Amino acid sequence: MSELRKALRGLDWSGWLGAVIVGLIVAAAILAPLIAPYDPLALNIEDRLTAPDAKHWLGTDQAGRDVLSRILFGARASLSVGIGAVLIGAAIGVSAGVLAAYRGGLGEQIVMRVVDGVASIPLLVWAIAIVGILGVGPLPVGPLLLPNEVKIIVLVGCLFSPVFARVTYAVAKRIAGADYVRARFLQGASHWQIVIGDVLPNCLSPIIVQGTLLVAIGIVIEASISFVGLGVQPPQPSWGTMLSDARSAIYSGEWWLPVFPGLAISLTVIGFNLLGDAVRELFDPRSEARTLVA
Amino acid sequence: MSPALLSVEGLRVGFRSADGGIVEAVRGVDFSVAPGEAVGIVGESGSGKSLSMLAVMRLLGAPARVTGGRVVFDGEDLVAADEKRMRALRGRDIAMVFQDPQSSLNPALTIGRQITDVVRAHRDVSATEARRIAAESLERVGIRDAGKRLASYPHEFSGGMRQRALIAMAIACRPRLLIADEPTTALDVTVQAQIVDLIAELRRELGLAVVFISHNLQLVAEIVDRVVVMYGGKVVEDGPVEAIERGPRHPYTGLLKACVPSLSGPVGPLTAIEGAPPRLGRLPAGCPFSPRCPDAIETCAREMPALIAEAGHRTACWRPR
Amino acid sequence: MTGPILALRGVSKSFPQGGLLDRLLGRDSRLVALDDVSLDVMRGDVVGVVGESGSGKSTLASLAVGLARPTLGDVLLDGQSMAELMRDHAGLWRRRVQMVFQDSSSALNPRKSVDRCLGETLALRGVPRAGRESEIAELLTLVGLGPEIGPRLPHELSGGQRQRIGLARALAMKPEVLIADEPVSALDVSLQAQVINLLSRLTRELGLTLLFISHDLALVRTLCSRIVVMRKGAIVEQGACLDVLDRPQHPYTQTLIAAVPKGLAGRRKTWPAPSAVAPETREDIHGAA
Repeated sequence: MSELRKALRGLDWSGWLGAVIVGLIVAAAILAPLIAPYDPLALNIEDRLTAPDAKHWLGTDQAGRDVLSRILFGARASLSVGIGAVLIGAAIGVSAGVLAAYRGGLGEQIVMRVVDGVASIPLLVWAIAIVGILGVGPLPVGPLLLPNEVKIIVLVGCLFSPVFARVTYAVAKRIAGADYVRARFLQGASHWQIVIGDVLPNCLSPIIVQGTLLVAIGIVIEASISFVGLGVQPPQPSWGTMLSDARSAIYSGEWWLPVFPGLAISLTVIGFNLLGDAVRELFDPRSEARTLVA
Repeated sequence: MSPALLSVEGLRVGFRSADGGIVEAVRGVDFSVAPGEAVGIVGESGSGKSLSMLAVMRLLGAPARVTGGRVVFDGEDLVAADEKRMRALRGRDIAMVFQDPQSSLNPALTIGRQITDVVRAHRDVSATEARRIAAESLERVGIRDAGKRLASYPHEFSGGMRQRALIAMAIACRPRLLIADEPTTALDVTVQAQIVDLIAELRRELGLAVVFISHNLQLVAEIVDRVVVMYGGKVVEDGPVEAIERGPRHPYTGLLKACVPSLSGPVGPLTAIEGAPPRLGRLPAGCPFSPRCPDAIETCAREMPALIAEAGHRTACWRPR
Repeated sequence: MTGPILALRGVSKSFPQGGLLDRLLGRDSRLVALDDVSLDVMRGDVVGVVGESGSGKSTLASLAVGLARPTLGDVLLDGQSMAELMRDHAGLWRRRVQMVFQDSSSALNPRKSVDRCLGETLALRGVPRAGRESEIAELLTLVGLGPEIGPRLPHELSGGQRQRIGLARALAMKPEVLIADEPVSALDVSLQAQVINLLSRLTRELGLTLLFISHDLALVRTLCSRIVVMRKGAIVEQGACLDVLDRPQHPYTQTLIAAVPKGLAGRRKTWPAPSAVAPETREDIHGAA
């Protein structure tokens, strides 16, 4: 615990800003049912397209739904895709990357060629192409029916896994050749002990940094596929669908419809990026000593 | 005594530390180099030897900076000189050779291109003339077929040849001072011997003044006239090489000589210097060597002894040997 | 009379060179790191292996310790073939032969404290949890460190302290043979002497067999009873340390000895004319590689 406290003290102002932004957004997503002033799905034709006022802080949309409430609930979709996909991607990618680096041989070749292949096309293009092929709505996998949202999380997670694999591989390759790994091998430690005890812990910092940055990318991907109508389905709120619905408003002057979901996306992405950069600094065990190298 | 070519006066180099203070790594260093003289600067890691010479070249990178003192080269204070003037001096009047020949050369350019670039940066000569000078320099450092070798890339050279090429680059503009920072540390012993011989020869032929930085007293003693021993950011002893070799006065110099075994004489346990080299910011108020010194008395830890000259041999010690 | 504790019998080691394409086209070549090397190390011997880069001395070390397998020939530990031992009880070979590495900063896991590093090593040797603390203290004393060093992380230690921890970790396995690959070349001279004296004392007190890989002839002379001179993957001369260094037979050994810095005694009184610049011995031998 003292280490965590020391780490928090080491955060600079931009790291703190990132942590605060991310913390607020996560809290908003979790507490949405408690703090949202209105039901995000409740239609109210009388109050449709009202500009921000005391009653509706961020205004209402074409169906009279409260924009603030929809943004708060939309954070759930965005964050669950961003964080869920990163967890799934890390689980697959880190294992593949570590094993490729540590074992070498044919497995290494296969993993790294797949990674190169996926990396040759932007993630967003992959995501839209695959959702387009799979179609909108729940996806049957054998006897199971994967709900639409879970489907998107798993899909984006799979797309993230090569990114994690590449980052992990690069670090793990160096660490697998370090003398302390050789020393463990000479002591008769099992491969499992070496990978878990020595290789993985020393790969963690770039993985965590990558993870924080990918949450932001996941949020953008969710918004993008929802924007083109392949993601979260109306009337469920999501920042992407809100933007999509706001397209017509850009010309008719209801500025609050595109601006607030757009701000929500930008703020979240900035928050995770700031946090990612700060975490990179924190995870270097030598970061304190480094300033004084003669 | 002739006026010094390079004179370092009270030089201080410090780092800004994490808590905002300044940690000094070079703490008031004085020494001078006469024209054509070869001076060895000997010290272990943390002694400040490399930092002092980087400060002379004004090559200190952040967070290190000169915090005091003067560096006078040929009557001109380099600490106060502007960057444009330094660029003109570097490579033309003062050249430097570094420890790692691998990272000192650009792998994407031919050796010839890298030498001619230096020549043309400082001298108003045609491309053909620059190539001629480059070939001549390579020839001079003992690379055969120099004309053909100009077209080689660094990876086609062995470590020793790369270091020779760097020396060729350094001497191409006929500098008056060559600073060699551990130029042989990354090389095999037989190649090390050749490079050291080469530097000694060039010095004689071209009348170069040489500052040879090394952790190896035995090595510098083979080619220098005078040895400056540094410890904890200070000069602890400075004298003619014969005097330092035969009768070092500072206990550190004596121990430094004794802890390196030789290839002759009886075999037995080595003389060790107990403790560890000093860490920046944790130096005692007095003599930096006092915590490890077998001869230390109470005064040593409290007060820094002055560097006292006696017949051209300076020692900073309360109890010189 | 018992046989050698460690023996190399006609050992060669080569590495494939060139990329996948070269190999498919049959243009691959092999870099020969060791070429038909035979060496006997008797129990309690302190053997210095000297040579320059490319001599194969580090390859010899990794073969002797079991980190690499020979391409040809066999490595024997106490008369048993490495190929057999590694197949049946790999751990056993590894524990009996331990290694001290050159670069002390890469030899220790940066995230593990000294206590944890040594504790895990003892656990692998089968020391019960209760006995580990006292044995860690013993090991630290053995290498001349105090128990206060236990909770520290590698970057909080000096180079000399790290190298001592590396040594303590190797000793924690109670090895019979210790391979030290340039253990002091990255240290300051004032620390080199400390570590060399420590190695010397430990080999004597623990009856260790030591293979000391180094490029420093003078250190080998101080520490070792036997010397093996290597060049381009082959042994060119071996024998009792003082005999070989005082009366070298092979020209390469003579060159190596001549190249050792000798201070004032090594000053050249006369300088050759510029035309007769010293020949490019190493460059000629190794080509432009």
